[in-house]
Amino acid sequence: MAEITLDKVVKKYGGLDVVHGIDLQIAHEEFVVLVGPSGCGKSTTLRMIAGLEDISGGLVKIGDRVVNDLPPRKRNISMVFQNYALYPHMNVRENLGFGLKIAGEATASIVKRVDEAAEILGLTPLLDRTPAELSGGQRQRVAMGRAIVRRPDVFLFDEPLSNLDAKLRGQMRAEIKKLHQKVRTTVVYVTHDQVEAMTLADRIVVMRDGRIEQVGSPMDVFNHPRTTFVATFIGSPPMNLLPATISGGAVRLADGTAVPIPDRLSDRVHEGRRVTLGIRPDDISPVGHGLSQDGPGAEVEMEVELAEPLGMESLIYTRLAGQEVQAKLYGPRLVQPGERLSFRMALDRAHLFDAETGRSVRED
Amino acid sequence: MPFWRRESAIPYLLLLPALAIMALVVAFPLIFSLYTSFTGYRLVRPDSLYDWVGLRNYSRILQDYDFWVAFGRTVLFLTVVLNVEFLLGLGIALLINRITWGQRTLRTIMMFPMMFSPILVGFQFKFMFNDNIGIVNNALQSLGLSDGAIAWLVDGKLAFFSIAFAEVWMSTSVFAILLLAGLFAMPRDPLEAAKVDGCNAWQTFRHITLPFLMPFAYIAMAIRSLDVARAYDIVTVMTDGGPAGRTELLWTLIARVGYDNSRMGLANAMAYVSTILSILFTWYFYRKLVAARRYMGGAQ
Amino acid sequence: MTATVESQRSKALKRAGLTALTFLLMVVMCVPGLWVVLSAFRPNAEILAKPPVWIPQNPTFDNFRKIFGLGTDQVAIPVGSYFMNSLIIALTSTAIALMIGMAGGYAFARYRFRGKGGIFLGLMLFRAVPGIALSLPVFIIWSKMGIIDTKLGLIIVYVSLNVPFTIWLIDGFFRQIPLSLSEAAQVDGCTRWQAYWKIEFPLARSGIAAAGVFAFLTSWNEFALASQLTRSTTSKTLPVGLLDFTAQFTIDWAGMCAMAVIIIVPALILTFLVQKHLIAGLTFGGVKG
Ligand SMILES: Nc1ncnc2c1ncn2[C@@H]1O[C@H](COP(=O)(O)OP(=O)(O)OP(=O)(O)O)[C@@H](O)[C@H]1O
Ligand SMILES: [Mg+2]
Repeated sequence: MAEITLDKVVKKYGGLDVVHGIDLQIAHEEFVVLVGPSGCGKSTTLRMIAGLEDISGGLVKIGDRVVNDLPPRKRNISMVFQNYALYPHMNVRENLGFGLKIAGEATASIVKRVDEAAEILGLTPLLDRTPAELSGGQRQRVAMGRAIVRRPDVFLFDEPLSNLDAKLRGQMRAEIKKLHQKVRTTVVYVTHDQVEAMTLADRIVVMRDGRIEQVGSPMDVFNHPRTTFVATFIGSPPMNLLPATISGGAVRLADGTAVPIPDRLSDRVHEGRRVTLGIRPDDISPVGHGLSQDGPGAEVEMEVELAEPLGMESLIYTRLAGQEVQAKLYGPRLVQPGERLSFRMALDRAHLFDAETGRSVRED
Repeated sequence: MPFWRRESAIPYLLLLPALAIMALVVAFPLIFSLYTSFTGYRLVRPDSLYDWVGLRNYSRILQDYDFWVAFGRTVLFLTVVLNVEFLLGLGIALLINRITWGQRTLRTIMMFPMMFSPILVGFQFKFMFNDNIGIVNNALQSLGLSDGAIAWLVDGKLAFFSIAFAEVWMSTSVFAILLLAGLFAMPRDPLEAAKVDGCNAWQTFRHITLPFLMPFAYIAMAIRSLDVARAYDIVTVMTDGGPAGRTELLWTLIARVGYDNSRMGLANAMAYVSTILSILFTWYFYRKLVAARRYMGGAQ
Repeated sequence: MTATVESQRSKALKRAGLTALTFLLMVVMCVPGLWVVLSAFRPNAEILAKPPVWIPQNPTFDNFRKIFGLGTDQVAIPVGSYFMNSLIIALTSTAIALMIGMAGGYAFARYRFRGKGGIFLGLMLFRAVPGIALSLPVFIIWSKMGIIDTKLGLIIVYVSLNVPFTIWLIDGFFRQIPLSLSEAAQVDGCTRWQAYWKIEFPLARSGIAAAGVFAFLTSWNEFALASQLTRSTTSKTLPVGLLDFTAQFTIDWAGMCAMAVIIIVPALILTFLVQKHLIAGLTFGGVKG
């Protein structure tokens, strides 16, 4: 059993705090993704779990052992590094078997386990090559092989796919997912790519400036962002945010456009409250070209400033109440800049955030 | 926990042997020689080690015409050879960088003079510049460029030239090699961007290549200034400061005063001056190197 | 059409010319060294000949025989002892300097600590003390300690001479190895010590060898200190022994050239073996802070 517990974990570099007391429970066999913008402390947190970085405060537990003072080798973890960190002077076979050899495994058993891991990852024909003779994707796979061959309690990944091109990244993403289904280990995975986070995670941890902003399943985080930060960080293109005021029982935008208050939020706001209306591009579409035609909605007329056709759909840049707004058009219709269209906002999936704190009004 | 058991003590422990040996063989003797420079110590009279004379050695140096001539000559020598070595090295590096066929061989040949012991270089050029049997005079005469034997090592100016020539021969490779490494490390994009922006060959060199090479030049300068004093070996062999002290550098003067005249106190005072000179040179280029590195931007 | 062929041909011609010129230049640069080497294989008569004999007419090993005291009645110079002294002193001091330098270089490459920049600069500045200036106090102290004119005395000095630069080079080599390799090894179950010996050391090995060669050459070629700190055949090194060929007014050029060859050949071989790493170490240590 390897659940991981972070209890008020702090990291300081000299006088500088980079991780401010993180609390997190990770269940056995769970796949958790730490996601957040560059410099928010994801790697630092991961490296504290790995034992590569001293812990300045708080406790890290793996299973029921406090591991704060254990060196990496005693934590029964393995890690895939961003640049793979393959040993350049060893061939693939030796790279895979290195950890077992250090642990003093019998040669026969090393051979067997290396072959198994190579089989799982399709590395068998490459076993005698050195890292220099491998492509980026193959190196990536060797790095994963090196991690699974030791059957650790915990896998740690630090942006393992960021050095690959877009297509390969998609492939490897799927492979990591399959691998996890096969070997079922606790995984902590760091990325700043929200697509990776959404597709891989059982649970997403959104971080910002050394703090946890929100924890939840991908759909939960997507559907119920707790802050404007999470709302814009998860989901692509990002959610539109429009400053507004509650007035006369409606959400009134800066230019006076009135939008009905979404039903499920009506008891959360009071007259005169200053809010931010959040609505994803998928939920603003030219009338008749949206995802859903029924349910509560509001119609506004806007001028197309720019359209990016993507095949079966187009991304439209328009302007509402002086803000740039992105909208989606579903269907193979071309629109031209300057065209005025009537757009429908699907309000059942709209969000309201407090204008001051940026927190969702559902949180009050 | 005692200090030496802590994680933060590891780098200091690793450095301890290095610091210890430097303290024993360099720092301690330097302190000792500082003390000696305030005494009238003579090798032949051991008890004169305790003969405190205050600043007399230094004031004697200040008034010593020969010393200041040697000092000036040393600075001149260093300035001339370092600049010539830099320019020649740059030329060679640029030339070799343009060669595609046989480049590796060229690089190897280029390193040939680097492995010569300075003392050997001295003998070698003494041999070649010998007025009677030397190949230089022989060649000049058989080519009809000169009729009599030129006294390369006897005439003061010519001797200075000969010594500088030997020094340049020995050390130009250091510059050439390091600058060539710099040229190899040079990214292609800025060069191409400059070409697109309409720079001609000279402008590209002046504004792109040269600034990029400067850190490498400073490394070479810093490395060279660590052992410029090896020129002592060359001078000792070729002219031993002669004729009549006209190629005397600080270092040969120190050896003469200390060992031949056995006036250790005075020699140590002179040695201190030359040590400070060397350290200033090294420090100067090291600072330049650090600054140039920062200027090269972000690349650590 | 023909114009481009024409211009291509003239370009190729230009390039060939440039290559030939560069080769010629490099060879000319080597002439002074080669001249000494050639002279080592000439009889004395040819060395003193006028006009000069460029290519040795009847190459001979007599000069070598002579300096080793074989076959002639001349008093031999103990070149054999000098050679052994040089070898022992250079090898021992190199080995010690390498061990000290490996520890120090690793500390600079892998740890942040207070006073790092200052210590590094300090080490380099110590190295800048001119040999002859250092020799004065060392001469006195070594005499008092009774290790003047011994191999030990010179070995100690050479270690300190080589430590700063060895650290500079080795620091550069360790920096080239990504830190994450050592971290990966530690995650894989190594202690830091094991990670060093199994991963970082093998990767830096050729660089460390280059640093060793550099240290060896420095000791092998050193003259200023050795000429003052050694006196007798039990400790004199080859560069100092070279002076044996100079009498008051005459120089035995033939013998000297032969001895020069003996000094050069080991240096030559070693340098060519590691030249690639040497260049990498020199530049890397400097450019990346
Ligand atoms: N050795 C260090 N000394 C001081 N500050 C550091 C050190 N290492 C990291 N930091 C700081 O800690 C913060 C968190 O760094 P971390 O590497 O965890 O970010 P990250 O979330 O992984 O970002 P990225 O997506 O760019 O990898 C950053 O602001 C960084 O500047
Ligand atoms: Mg990171």
